[in-house]
This record gives sequence, structure tokens and C-alpha cells, in this order.
Amino acid sequence: MTRLVGAELLKLRTTRTFWALSGSALGLVLLIVVLNVAIEDAFGAEHDVVELLSTVGICGLLTLVLGAVVGAGEYRHGTIAWTLLVTPQRLRAVGAQVLACALGGLAIGLGIGAITAAIAIPWLTAKDAAMPPAGDLFQVFVGGGVYAGLAAAFGVALGALLRNQVSAVVIVLVLIFVVEPTLAALIEGFGAFTLTGLGAAMLGVDDGSDLLAPGTAAVVWTLYTTVLAGLAAISTSRRDI
Amino acid sequence: MPQGASRPANLPLGAAPRAGSAASVRGVLEVRDLTKRYGLNVAVDRLTFKASPGRVLGFLGPNGAGKTTTLRTLLGLTLPTSGSAMVDSRPYRELEDPVKVVGAVLEGPQFHPGRTGRNHLRVMAAAAGLPTTRVDEMLRLVELNGAGNRRVKGYSLGMRQRLSLAGALLGDPRALVLDEPANGLDPQGIRWLRDFLRAQARDGRTVLVSSHVLAEMAQTVDEVVVISRGRLVAQGSLDELTHGVEAPVWVRSPEPDRLRAALAAKEGVSTEPGEAGGGWLAVRGASLEDVGTTAAENGIPVYELYRPRQSLESVFLELTGDTEAGR
Repeated sequence: MTRLVGAELLKLRTTRTFWALSGSALGLVLLIVVLNVAIEDAFGAEHDVVELLSTVGICGLLTLVLGAVVGAGEYRHGTIAWTLLVTPQRLRAVGAQVLACALGGLAIGLGIGAITAAIAIPWLTAKDAAMPPAGDLFQVFVGGGVYAGLAAAFGVALGALLRNQVSAVVIVLVLIFVVEPTLAALIEGFGAFTLTGLGAAMLGVDDGSDLLAPGTAAVVWTLYTTVLAGLAAISTSRRDI
Repeated sequence: MPQGASRPANLPLGAAPRAGSAASVRGVLEVRDLTKRYGLNVAVDRLTFKASPGRVLGFLGPNGAGKTTTLRTLLGLTLPTSGSAMVDSRPYRELEDPVKVVGAVLEGPQFHPGRTGRNHLRVMAAAAGLPTTRVDEMLRLVELNGAGNRRVKGYSLGMRQRLSLAGALLGDPRALVLDEPANGLDPQGIRWLRDFLRAQARDGRTVLVSSHVLAEMAQTVDEVVVISRGRLVAQGSLDELTHGVEAPVWVRSPEPDRLRAALAAKEGVSTEPGEAGGGWLAVRGASLEDVGTTAAENGIPVYELYRPRQSLESVFLELTGDTEAGR
């Protein structure tokens, strides 16, 4: 399995999509953080700083899209045939892809988190901002990395299941921006189990709603991904390629 | 690939071990009673054939005859409705190290356009546990080493075919399944491919190849399987097919009557004089050797002796014409 994950990571690294989405995520996060720190004078509450730094959560949305593009892209470009010629066992093939994307997403999340921290924390400290304890900062950046990794894994499993890049990306966006908010508004307590709610929980954001504990949120997200990956493996093994 | 014919048949895999011994990995490809339906459409209909080591088996049929479906089923990419398609008596999906057992060239898009040719092979090699040196060997073999670091979207059709071939050979497999491998190749490339496939068979590998280029196939294959509308319409050695089982032996002798009498004494042999005269006889039920030996035994001079050979193309059109006409 290790060599398959290695091959999938190589596959990820050798296309421009991975680097373009990583660069976009970095640029977007830095733009928001830098502009806010530069313009805003008062960061009087620790909560304000956590809220600003939790912008790294954007990585999660972008790695979710990256995963969907990568998973469905195998079918778009026909590379799935080579993948399955080398690894005919569908569960292993899909599993390796999910694990590799999780690692890729984790690397993106942690990398962008580290760059953001290196720029924002000294700057905020210099502006006498109310800095939260190190544990809270750790939660934002490491939680952000885990969120980005799990989001990529979810995306690739969804992409492998749907096999169409446009459908996969549209479904991801509709799910996050339409379905989830609607259901969260209609069903009490549901918000904590939405992708958005789970992501916020992993980042340690306290938005006043009842979010799950970060670890529990990660477990629930992993469960969602496992179900999707299982469905993708079953469907791949029953379909003609 | 101008100097391809003089190159070695294949490059050694180096330190990478084969998947099992030669005895356990033989590369026998067998399709038995294979049927594949897409809704009401029957793509492959109770098809049976076998490709054995040391032989090049040509898989022929008109467009839509079910060739690609059959090959993809053999490779585990398509599920059979009934029957089986096996590699060394096992479904492809159950092979432990398939890249070292079967190498495949498929039709249609198979590459990420933004990935370089070399990286495409690196990904395959990494997944199969093969060293990266093997990638460079294969790029050299198919003469893409100069273009290995270019993105595939900049490749010509022929270059993509050669990259596919490099991928198929990466694991030094015992069998090759090639779907229209000559597509997009230039004349030198086609010649190189022919020599290459012949060398692979001489080396004991099983080669199953589908192609539309019948003249080329005639120079490459040992045996032929012809299908039409998913059904087997002919199978046999190239000689059997192009000579035709019923084709008579033609012999010209200054003593045709004596020869007729001598041949008539043989069981199952019939003769009739050629319409143009000139001492020609058409002999049915006997081989070239039978006729020549009979003449020699009876001291009858023979000036000419031959069995007319049809082109593979005319045999193909004859065999598939009836079934295709019903479309």
C-alpha cells in the first residue's frame, strides 16, 4: 500500500492543478490576513485573533475542490485505465488515492498555516494584539492542516464516485453553500455535523453554535470519507472502465 | 524509429525480480464463452480463443465487432456478462503483480495532458515497485528519451502510442495485449513495431494484437482470430486462412492424364483439368506435398505446383462480409 500511496502522491505532484490550487489557497489566505492586519488597528480580544487566523480554513474548501478534480480527473483523462492495470484491486486503488490526497491536503494546510503564522503572529504581536494562548494557535494551524487533509480525501472519494469533474465540483459547492446552510437552519443541531461545522470545529473556532470537539469532528469527517470511498470502490469494481 | 529493427528485442529489467518463476507466469491469455451485453446490444457473443506463449495472435474484426470490449475484459477493465477472460487461468483482477504478467496498449485517451511522458511512466513504475532506471530504459527503447520531459499534450499520436508501448513494457511482462498499437505510427515505426512484436514472440512472450492494418498484420502474426458482430467467424494459422481449406492445389505437367490417374488412386483426392488447358490440373483433397510426392513416385514431370494464396484482406472481407451486410 505504501508504494501505491507514493505513486498517487507522485501523480498529484506532477500536475499543475495541485500547484495552482496550493498557490491560490496560499495567496488567498495571505491576502485576507495581511490586509486585515494592515488595516485593522484593534485586535483587543483573543477571539478576534483566532477568527482572523482561522482564515487558513479556506485551504479546506480549496483542497476539497482539488480532491474532487483529482478523483474525477482520472476518468476524464482516462488515466484510471493505467491505474487499474497496475492495481486491479479497486479498493486498494481508491484507498491509495484517498490516502495520498489526504497527505497532500495535510501538507498544503500545514504549509500554508506555517507561512501564515510566520507572517501574522510577529506582526500581530508588534501591534499589541491580544494574543491567544499557544494551545489555541496550535489548534488553528494544526486543526487547519488536518481539515485540509480530510477535505482533500473527501473530495477525491466524491470525485471517484461521480467520475465527472464538473458535477463533482458543482455538487461540492452546492452542498457547502446551499444544502448545508438550509438543513442547518431547518434542523436544530444539524449544523455541527455539516462539513462546514466539522471544519470550524477542527479549526477551534468558537462561533457561538454547538460545535463538536475537534477530535470528534475529525472522526465524523473521516467516517463520511470512508463511506464515500467505500461506495466509490464498490461502484468502480462494478462498472466498466 | 529508423534503426529500431536492429535494436535488442527488449531491455532487461535489471535488479527488479519477475513476478514468479517462468513456470508460474507463462502469459497464456484465454477467452472462453465470453459474452458482453450493453442493454439489448450484444457486443461480444460466446467468444472463445486462446493466445499462447511464443506466438503472435492477430485479433481482427470490423469497427464495432467487439475487439476492444474483448481486450478490455481480458484486462479486467470491463466485466463479462457471462463466460470468462483469463490470464494464466486467473482473472486479471486477481493477478498479484499484473504489470509483470501482462503489458497493455489501449485505445483512447490514457494520459493526463499536463503530465510529462516520463512522469507518466514514473507513476506507473512507482505503483508497480519498479526502479526509475526502468523508465529511462523504456523511453530509450521507444525513442522518446528526448521528449520524456515534455508534457503529453505536446505529443503527436505516434508519440502517445510509443509512450503507451513503453508503459506496456515497463514490467517486462510475459504477455502483451495491444489494441491497435500501429495507430499513428509512421512507416518506420510500424516496421519497428512488427520486428519488435516478432522478437517478443521469439523470446517466448504471448502477443495478442488487434489492428485494422491487415497488410501489416499479415506480416506480423502467426495466428488469426476474426470476429464480426461479436462472434468468432474464423480462427487458425495465417497459412490456413490465406490458403483456404477448400482451395485446390494447381499443378502443371506435360502428362496430365497420367498424373490424374495416379492422384485418383489416392483416397479422398479428386482432380479436374484446368479450363485453360495447357496441362493444368486442379487437385482437391491433397496437399502440395502429396501432389509433388505422387508425381515423383510415378516419374511424372511437374513444371509448376502451387496453392493460390489469398491476401489476408480478401479473406477478412470474405469472412466478415456476410455478417456485416446484415447490419
